[in-house]
Amino acid sequence: MLDTLSLMGAGFLNALSPINLLMMAAGVAMGIVIGCMPGLSAAMGVALMLPMTFTMKAETGLIVLGAIYCGAIFGGSISAILIHTPGTPASAATAIEGYQMTLQGKAGKALFTACYSSFWGGLLSCISLYFFSPLLAKLTLKFMSAEYFWLSLFGLTIIAGVSSKSVIKGLMSGALGLLLSTVGLDPISGVKRFMPTSYFAEGINTTCALIGLFSMSQVFILAEKKIKERARATKFSDKMSLTREERRTIRPTIIRSWIIGNLIGILPGAGASIACFLGYNTSKQFSKHKELFGNGSIEGVAGSEAANNAVTGGSLIPTLTLGIPGESVTAVLMGGLIIQGLTPGPELFGKYAPMTYTFFAGFVLVQFFMLGIGLLGCRGFAQISRLSDAILIPCVTVLCFVGSYAIHKNIMDIVVMLSFGVLGYLMRKFDLNTAAVVLALILGPIGEKGLRNALRGSQGDFRVLFSSVVCWVLIILCVIGILSPIFMNRLEKKAEKEAISGTGEDLEKLTEEDSV
Amino acid sequence: MKMKKTDIGVVLFMYFVCGFFYYHMVKLKASSQTYPRFTIVLLFGLTTLYLIQMVIAAKKYGVESGVDSVFKDFQTAQFFVCLCATVLYLICIHLFGFYIPTVIFMAAIMLYLKVPPLYICITIVVIIALIYFAFQKFLGVKLPVGTIMKALNK
Repeated sequence: MLDTLSLMGAGFLNALSPINLLMMAAGVAMGIVIGCMPGLSAAMGVALMLPMTFTMKAETGLIVLGAIYCGAIFGGSISAILIHTPGTPASAATAIEGYQMTLQGKAGKALFTACYSSFWGGLLSCISLYFFSPLLAKLTLKFMSAEYFWLSLFGLTIIAGVSSKSVIKGLMSGALGLLLSTVGLDPISGVKRFMPTSYFAEGINTTCALIGLFSMSQVFILAEKKIKERARATKFSDKMSLTREERRTIRPTIIRSWIIGNLIGILPGAGASIACFLGYNTSKQFSKHKELFGNGSIEGVAGSEAANNAVTGGSLIPTLTLGIPGESVTAVLMGGLIIQGLTPGPELFGKYAPMTYTFFAGFVLVQFFMLGIGLLGCRGFAQISRLSDAILIPCVTVLCFVGSYAIHKNIMDIVVMLSFGVLGYLMRKFDLNTAAVVLALILGPIGEKGLRNALRGSQGDFRVLFSSVVCWVLIILCVIGILSPIFMNRLEKKAEKEAISGTGEDLEKLTEEDSV
Repeated sequence: MKMKKTDIGVVLFMYFVCGFFYYHMVKLKASSQTYPRFTIVLLFGLTTLYLIQMVIAAKKYGVESGVDSVFKDFQTAQFFVCLCATVLYLICIHLFGFYIPTVIFMAAIMLYLKVPPLYICITIVVIIALIYFAFQKFLGVKLPVGTIMKALNK
């Protein structure tokens, strides 16, 4: 206990170093800019900025990525409130009440509520991150080779199943990623496998694949659509604040949404887009002023925003402890972790504990930066959200090129990134799952080593894969993972329907922005 | 839900990937085949399962093209201009280095997409400055010099 407390304290001291503070501010600002631009997503932003973290210390790099993640989730609410277009799907529910408030000349109040609730949602989610992560990480100490094989499959079934329209297509995407992960030298015997050139000796570069699948593919998605002028962001003159009474009103809503968002975040596969609707619905159910819902309720904005930001801390728990990211953004974050040479699991809370606790402390401080930058820069960010796709297309392309080149300073990296960009575009057009491919590229080698080592130890006897209780638990979890989309889809549909009932909103319009 | 004809392409692509990897896998040492074989069987099995699902959907609900929904509001010329320009940009970076092709690429794309000239200039200056200071100065990334430029400098 004392050890943990001293690690937490040391983490805060490290996180408070000038470079970390500077990076937090830059990351949050960058995240808010990405989040408030409809068409760009949090995953895309984190993927795009991943190469910038290579030369940084592991903790600083992770803090930057965490800051972009939190900033982007909050940033989505700015365009949701001011132009009725959620910057990210996580802010779809915010648009319902937020825009109504804007129409009534209360945009400042709506933005303050969003920022304030996001801050508390994110900050409270750090509590579970601090306390559940080490416990869950200890569990993985029981894992042997066979268990790692099943764990890699479990991670895939979860992300492939939940974030795809069709479960089978999601699983097909995961299997395709696993197959692609076998390109390169055999990790055990060193035999060349499926290698057109020696460039692929270390396998397909995960970062290039990430940038291609999440960022470059988005450029192609933007390029295929007619360039439309974005709605003008409403200029607002009301004060960005809440009265003491209003703060008291939204307090229980924030706490409820924090619990909801946190639980949703911890559940692998469920994400911020589900949490925002659940948070919104719960605030509606418990509100003493139900008549205000659909007409600009601050409780509605608070419920949605606290829930989607509470997801951030929660979703890091399975990512850091089990190596199972629940959604696209955390899959990219995990890529960042692995690129730094770190493996999710008990090592992060043992050998690398100082780094992990610095990251956690940074994650806490990021919430304060989000509050400060969000409140001070709302007016400016609102104007940025109008940036046309015609400007975004070349800018994102150039950043994708530079980002992928920066890794090894090799033109081939750009070729791989571009190829994955085209693949990602086609996959998204045909409802395949790009996040599953990325995760499979990361988990593939872990699964392969697990399978090969287990079989080597048992002289090729496949029964070793079913020999322990943990193996069976993971197999059952795989089955649940495959079946969970049926439940999750129903939950999301129900929450969305309940949220828009009586508000006159068009659900398709609110969720039409194509984001990964 | 009706079966989409476009999904036939998805199934064929997956079978092609399986075939391609299988063809190369059989040439490998037996021990190196284990995991690729497992993933090929997995992908093949899932694709076949999807094919069965498609056939059932076709019999139950009928068949639709799928092209309309997949390529709704598709701006053919705009898309291919952007795609070709991106490929050309890659080739030019390799030949002429980073900065000149980047300025030309950005200006060309934005002019084509009818961005006002003032915005084009501001965007280019901002992006070039960002790359120069963030990547080149701060992170120490050496950007491509270009094979032709390198030869000329020699």
